Amino acid sequence: MSTKKQTTLRVGETHVQAVRDTFPGVVLDATWQAEDQVTITIPVDMLPDVVEFLYYGRGGWLPNMVANDERPLRGCYVLYYLLSMEESDPGFVVVRAEVDPNTMEYPSVTPRVPACVWSEREAFDMFGLRAVGLPDERRLVLPDDWLEDLYPLRKDSMDYRRRPAPVTDVEDYTFLYEGNAEETTQVPMGPLHITSDEPGHFRLFVEGEDIIDADYRLFYVHRGMEKVAESRLSYDAVTFLADRICGICGNAHSVAYAEAVENAQGIEVPLRGQYIRSILLEVERLHSHLLNLGLVCHYCGFDTGFQHFFRVREKTMDLAVLLTGARKTYGLNLIGGVRRDILDEQKLATIKYVRELRNEVEALVDMLVSTANFESRTAGIGRLDPAVARDYSPVGPAVRGSGIARDVRFDHPFDGYKFLVGMSARSHDGCDVQSRTLVRVEEFMDSLDMIEQLLDGAPEGPIQTENWQYTPHKYALGYTEAPRGEDMHWAMVGDNQKCYRWRAKAATYSNWPILRYMLRGNTVADAAIIVGSMDPCYSCTDRVTVVDVNKKSSTVLTKDQLEGYCRRRTHSPLAGKGW
Amino acid sequence: MFKLFKEIGKTGDATIGYPFQPLEMPDGFRGKPEHNEKLCIACAACAIACPANAITMELDAEQNYLTWDISYGRCIFCGRCQEVCPLFAITLTKDFELAVLNKDDLRESCSYEVAHCARCGKPYAVAKEVDYARRVLSKAGGPAAADIDKIDLCLDCRRFDDAEAFQKQARTRGEA
Repeated sequence: MSTKKQTTLRVGETHVQAVRDTFPGVVLDATWQAEDQVTITIPVDMLPDVVEFLYYGRGGWLPNMVANDERPLRGCYVLYYLLSMEESDPGFVVVRAEVDPNTMEYPSVTPRVPACVWSEREAFDMFGLRAVGLPDERRLVLPDDWLEDLYPLRKDSMDYRRRPAPVTDVEDYTFLYEGNAEETTQVPMGPLHITSDEPGHFRLFVEGEDIIDADYRLFYVHRGMEKVAESRLSYDAVTFLADRICGICGNAHSVAYAEAVENAQGIEVPLRGQYIRSILLEVERLHSHLLNLGLVCHYCGFDTGFQHFFRVREKTMDLAVLLTGARKTYGLNLIGGVRRDILDEQKLATIKYVRELRNEVEALVDMLVSTANFESRTAGIGRLDPAVARDYSPVGPAVRGSGIARDVRFDHPFDGYKFLVGMSARSHDGCDVQSRTLVRVEEFMDSLDMIEQLLDGAPEGPIQTENWQYTPHKYALGYTEAPRGEDMHWAMVGDNQKCYRWRAKAATYSNWPILRYMLRGNTVADAAIIVGSMDPCYSCTDRVTVVDVNKKSSTVLTKDQLEGYCRRRTHSPLAGKGW
Repeated sequence: MFKLFKEIGKTGDATIGYPFQPLEMPDGFRGKPEHNEKLCIACAACAIACPANAITMELDAEQNYLTWDISYGRCIFCGRCQEVCPLFAITLTKDFELAVLNKDDLRESCSYEVAHCARCGKPYAVAKEVDYARRVLSKAGGPAAADIDKIDLCLDCRRFDDAEAFQKQARTRGEA
């Protein structure tokens, strides 16, 4: 053995060293799962200190925390706090701690790092692991009528097909109010929401027309995919299930899952496969951003613009059909690569589409920003304070509209993004709906450039590999930048060709907790456009109930009424009803 | 405002004729899978590969027929079945109009006669698959076809034979 000291440090080594220096003796173990991923094991009572140190002290952001029932493996539950280090020494540091299955308790990190709040609530719902000191202990994922002591993701709890009978007929979820004003009126929006035709129950606390605070209840459409993946599918079929997480950005999930397994198993995807994955991710971004730009027009009362954005969006769908054989970029990923090559004639056709899209969207954007309504309805609306953003780790255009240029494609380049030249993350610092919209416009144009660069740069060669060794119980992260922000998947395969644990974090999971701050200080009429500017990946309301708690009266507003009010901003549907 | 009117004028008519005119899909479109029951040997490769369990195979109660079944309601049009089929018996077509009035119309199935083990009588594979294997082996000839008669036995009986042969071999070696 050579005694020469290794001069190059591994990615994340400086962070591990910093933790060792600051908290001597705390790091029990440090292992690298992939080139840019290190997991450190620490005693469970040190969690708040270490996570806070890495988050605020070392420039870390927290996508989520993964809980795992590892009792069959090592007799305990394990928590993995995933941290994306984005200042010096970029990479991923995962803080791992084992939880005693007898106490089922661990100290909550949320009081120190608010970004953990949803993950810690979810860990209780799914595993019964209690975060001591967690300020908000309400249910997050499970419905109100779920059994008290049935924790679905515990390995010994239930079959994935079991549907326990509801234990109660009442929805008894309590909405939290954090404002100061005493006399407020509660405006429930939902259980179906107004912007995207998907369920979510919003409670606006209003004073007159002004929103003082907002709270929400989501997960009405939780499909238990993680449980299905663990129980029914073999690990290489999960890419197809991951596609179905989202109806818009499914491919991003599929790539993230595939790369989680590939990183864990040390599978090298052939270069051409990597380029094709990036091209398809950008095609997905094209149609997603056009959808949102169309919706922005719609909420500004500019429906002609909406129609035109959707007309042009059809071209991006045609492009998807051309490259993948389906209008959605579904079903093209396998562990080890992609399933379909881009042929020469498809390449030429794609370049033609890209040119047409560039010209048409430029004209449409010009039209949108010169519309008087756009400026007045979006500037200064739905402010996301950068300080709040720092605490909650939001992602995608939502955070980039607040002057923080976080983008996985550039912070942790993967796949074809490693080879891009002359591009960087976009950001605007208006912190409002307008900034978020402009970020999307610029990203759309960047995506077109990226597709051209990637098509030109893609080397000849195979698109998938089939030779690898399957090692059970190895785990790693996979990440992509979906149109709405980073998707983070954590996967551990089992000894039965199945996922032992798969945790998929969608972009919007990181963004929901900040919505209440974006809604504060705005009027009810702006609620729809603010929620829309986050581009939430769930669907929407067909009606809104307005409750006056003081008078114990309630009024039901239809979706059309509320949307109409959002567009006109006159003739409040609440007028004449005692408000 | 002027830009808007200019754009509207330039666009003209964006509406297409579908459904009153056929809508042509490009090559490589992944639509309704078409099963060719004549080519199919019911080897179940597609049923194993299908991530959505749209393709299933079931043995009837009398153990005489194996039924291959597809539900277009479950199908996610990924085309894995086409990829894994050894005989190109299933291909994805450009057909995307799958709406039906009755849910049962979304299913298609096809039954295949099952071969029974010549010794123990247990059903072990579809007769067509056994025939296919026989033809492939006899065409290959040589050492591959040496045990061609064993194709009529189920896996358990063949294992038993192998074990017995091994035991005999071990005994003769031991005696020598």
